[in-house]
Amino acid sequence: MSAAATAPHAARTASNVRSGPTVARVAAAEWTKLTSLRSAWWTAAVTVLVGGAITYLSARASSVDPGFEPLDSLTAGLVLAQVGPLVLGVLVGAGEFRTGAFRSTFTTVPRRWPVLVAQTLAVAAFALVTGVLTTAAGVVGILPSAMSRGMTVDLTADGGPGMLLGMVLFLVGMALLGLALGALLRRTVPALVTALLLVLVLPIVLMLASDPLVGGGDAATMAAAADAPATTVVGTLGVLLPGAAGSLMTTSASAGGMEGAPDLGPVGGGLVLATWVLVLLAAAALRLRTRDVR
Amino acid sequence: MIEVEALTKRYGSTAAVDGLTFAARPGMVTGFLGPNGAGKSTTMRVVVGLERPTSGTATVDGRRYADLPAPLHAVGVMLDARSVHPGRTAYAHLVAMAKTHGIGRARVREVIAQTGLEPAAHRRAGTFSLGMSQRLGIAGALLGDPATLILDEPVNGLDPDGVLWVRRLVRELADEGRTVLLSSHLMHELALCADRVVIIGRGRLLADASVREIADRSERAGVVRVRTTDPEPLARELLAAGAQVTPQKGGVLHVRAVTVEDVGTAALRCGATVLELGTESGSLEEAYLKLTGDAVEYRAAGGVR
Repeated sequence: MSAAATAPHAARTASNVRSGPTVARVAAAEWTKLTSLRSAWWTAAVTVLVGGAITYLSARASSVDPGFEPLDSLTAGLVLAQVGPLVLGVLVGAGEFRTGAFRSTFTTVPRRWPVLVAQTLAVAAFALVTGVLTTAAGVVGILPSAMSRGMTVDLTADGGPGMLLGMVLFLVGMALLGLALGALLRRTVPALVTALLLVLVLPIVLMLASDPLVGGGDAATMAAAADAPATTVVGTLGVLLPGAAGSLMTTSASAGGMEGAPDLGPVGGGLVLATWVLVLLAAAALRLRTRDVR
Repeated sequence: MIEVEALTKRYGSTAAVDGLTFAARPGMVTGFLGPNGAGKSTTMRVVVGLERPTSGTATVDGRRYADLPAPLHAVGVMLDARSVHPGRTAYAHLVAMAKTHGIGRARVREVIAQTGLEPAAHRRAGTFSLGMSQRLGIAGALLGDPATLILDEPVNGLDPDGVLWVRRLVRELADEGRTVLLSSHLMHELALCADRVVIIGRGRLLADASVREIADRSERAGVVRVRTTDPEPLARELLAAGAQVTPQKGGVLHVRAVTVEDVGTAALRCGATVLELGTESGSLEEAYLKLTGDAVEYRAAGGVR
């Protein structure tokens, strides 16, 4: 009886190719998961709108300056727009654990690491499109001010293409930073708080700490500081933060470094951000590999 | 085929599962029973690789779950109805699962139909009742047409129709030659659909037997019940024959240590008129409570310390 009963099942097994998860398949699954969440689309829409709007307002405010240069305002919207990709990444990375969806995910792909790789690919692809649209919104945002001054915006000018590419990559990098923190910490709020501390709060704290006025310095030391723009410990730490380093990608190579910090340049800044992302992703992968998922 | 051998899982100094050994075989519904907190869910999580055993092994078809080449095709898992992102529709959730194994959308629609989820397929899972979440969990378990199914409390939260549907479904799946491991904390639920029952308490194996064998361990198992117009002479006759007799109300005697035939012969000898005669069938619930009683009491006492 049992032989007869198992026969149809065995036949089904033989007729189908029953192969398991590959990175490509899991990436397709993660793409479906990401794009089937409303929050992902909301986050992307808000990122594009905020990026465009802030850039527009900033350009309009600067356009009264005699030395107004439209392209200088292009990155103004990123200060707030970067929060969007960060949130997106955290939602994907920590959302699994917050909602219990990890049980389905990791029983389907029990080797676990392909999931993290697939999430990285899916988030990067989604953030890439969001980044391109946000950058485009920024370009649209500076046009009215440029036209009001009778200026043309030449994106192909010296450093222009690099700057545009840098803006897109910066936003992708922020999304992956959020993903890595979410996957590592496994909880939405702590991951988001950590991300915002690293990207928004710490740079301001370090900037204030390095400001001689705050340190109670007198005019003489301030003058000395202005004379010698040597690198300081605080300044170096500041530029090695993921957000600050990443934003160097949106500057031109000739722009020079930040005050008190070594000049990493756009490529160097990008590499520092990439290192942050890779180290945090590696830590998340290690936690996935060695710890229970509960 | 699921084999669990000397499995121990500790969290700090607490052993959630303690040296547990059992097997769930193909063509059978194996009930996995124990009070809440007995270690059922922990055992299942270890079997499907979400948690690592402290010691011992758990395998499916002879392999660790994590080593299965195509897990979805080998094992259908439903651990917790809330294993879906609440913002995702049932359909999107199943499509994403299916994509990891290259399973087509036609099969997704098939399991949606099979689990009666069609009206809710394009609603977000966060809006689902517990019963619908259970159906979605079962749909996910069936997706890969697996030879083994692991279902943790699948009838929890289902309406009576749903309960009947799950019972029929697991029966069909087992009759097709599949291995079904089904947990519950309700003995009567498993009595209706399981062939074999593995009972655990405080992480330890208490019983691993067929439903009938478990019933035979009940207090009342083996008791002969006789209703007669003349209980006293019959009781004397039975006591003389070496039986233990407990008089009940309404001329009923509960007789132990003799067979139905012995009681009938004794009644004939003393001329008692027998109105009813038969063996009491043991109650599964009683047997279960007897088995787990110690485990529960110990835990309650331990909690006070």
